[in-house]
Amino acid sequence: MHEFSVTSQIVRSVLDEAEKRGAKKVTEVHLVIGKLTFLGLEQVRFAFEALTKDTIMEGSKLVIEEQEGVVKCNHCGYEGGFKYEDDPLYHVPVPTLKCPKCDSVVKIVAGKECTIKSIKMMV
Amino acid sequence: MVALKKEVVKAEEGEIFDVELSEDLLKANQRLAEENKQFLRNNGVRAIDVMGAIGSGKTSLIEKLVKLLKAKQRIAVFKGDLTTTIDAELIAKHGVETVAINTGKECHLDANLVRKALHRLDLKKINLLFIENVGNLICPAEFPLGSDKRVVVVSVTEGPFMVVKHPFIFMEADVVAINKVDLAEAMGVDIKQLEKDVKMINPRATVVATNCRTGEGMGDVAKALGL
Repeated sequence: MHEFSVTSQIVRSVLDEAEKRGAKKVTEVHLVIGKLTFLGLEQVRFAFEALTKDTIMEGSKLVIEEQEGVVKCNHCGYEGGFKYEDDPLYHVPVPTLKCPKCDSVVKIVAGKECTIKSIKMMV
Repeated sequence: MVALKKEVVKAEEGEIFDVELSEDLLKANQRLAEENKQFLRNNGVRAIDVMGAIGSGKTSLIEKLVKLLKAKQRIAVFKGDLTTTIDAELIAKHGVETVAINTGKECHLDANLVRKALHRLDLKKINLLFIENVGNLICPAEFPLGSDKRVVVVSVTEGPFMVVKHPFIFMEADVVAINKVDLAEAMGVDIKQLEKDVKMINPRATVVATNCRTGEGMGDVAKALGL
C-alpha cells in the first residue's frame, strides 16, 4: 500500500550512505521485509527501479529477503509460525492470534519489519 | 529519517564495500507512537484510536460515546480525514474540543500527525482523547499512533466476510464494535458469525453489537474500554 513512499525513503537512505562514503556506484541493496507488512514486493521492485533511475543506484541489484510472521506464547513458551484457521469458504487460511499448541493468545514478535540490511557500493 | 544503528564495513572483491545497516523504516513511526503514548500518560490522558472502513460508523460511535461520557470525562477528539471538516464539526457540536486532521492524500493517520495535533490541545483540560482514523481497514494496522486502546468498527452493511478478509487490523483491536445491527436481517448477515470470526482471529478482543444511531451497545463499548 505504501510501497512508493517507503521505497523512496529506502532510496534516500541508501543515497545518503553512499554519498557519505564517496561511493561512485551502488551495486546491491539488500532488504528484509516482513510478511505482516502491507508492502507488495512487486510494487517495491517497480518503485525501486523508477526511483533509482538517473542516480548512482541505477541498475543496482535489489535483493529482498522475506521474514515470516513469528508469534510467541507466554503461556506454553511456543515460538514459531501462526496458527491458521481454514474454511473452504476463505480460499486462503486466516492467520489468528491463537497459540498453535495451547490456544492461548500469542504476541507477534517478527514479521513487521522493513529493514535495509546491507548495501554494496563501489568507491 | 533513517539513522545508523549498527555498522560493519568490510572490503570485498577489490573495490566493493559492503555496508551493513539495520534500521527499520517502519520503526520510525513506532518510535514516535511510543513517544506520543508516554507524553499522553505523563499528562494523565487516555487515548482511544477508532478505526474502521469508510461509512462503518466511526464518527457516530464517537458522537454517541461523547454524549454518554461527557458529564464525567473531559474529552477531546482528533478527527482524521483526507479532506473537509464535516465530521469534525459534527463532533464539535457536542461541546468537546475537536481538532480536524486532514491527511491530504494519505490513507491513514500516523504518529507524526497525531503529535502535531497534540500540540494544538491544552492537555491539562482533558483526560480522554478519541482519535478517529481515516476510513480504511488496511493501512492503519501498520501505523500505531500511541493510543492506549484501539477500537475497530465494522458494520453489517460491509457484508458477511469483512472480518476474515482483514485479519491484521482485527489483531490490533482491543474492542470490536459490530455496527448497524438493526440492518443485519435485511443484509442477510449473521452477527454471531461476525463475532465468531473476530474471536477466532483475536481471542482477547471484546466484541460488542452496536447501533450508533440509537446508541445501542454504547455502554458496553465504554465498559470494554474501561471508561
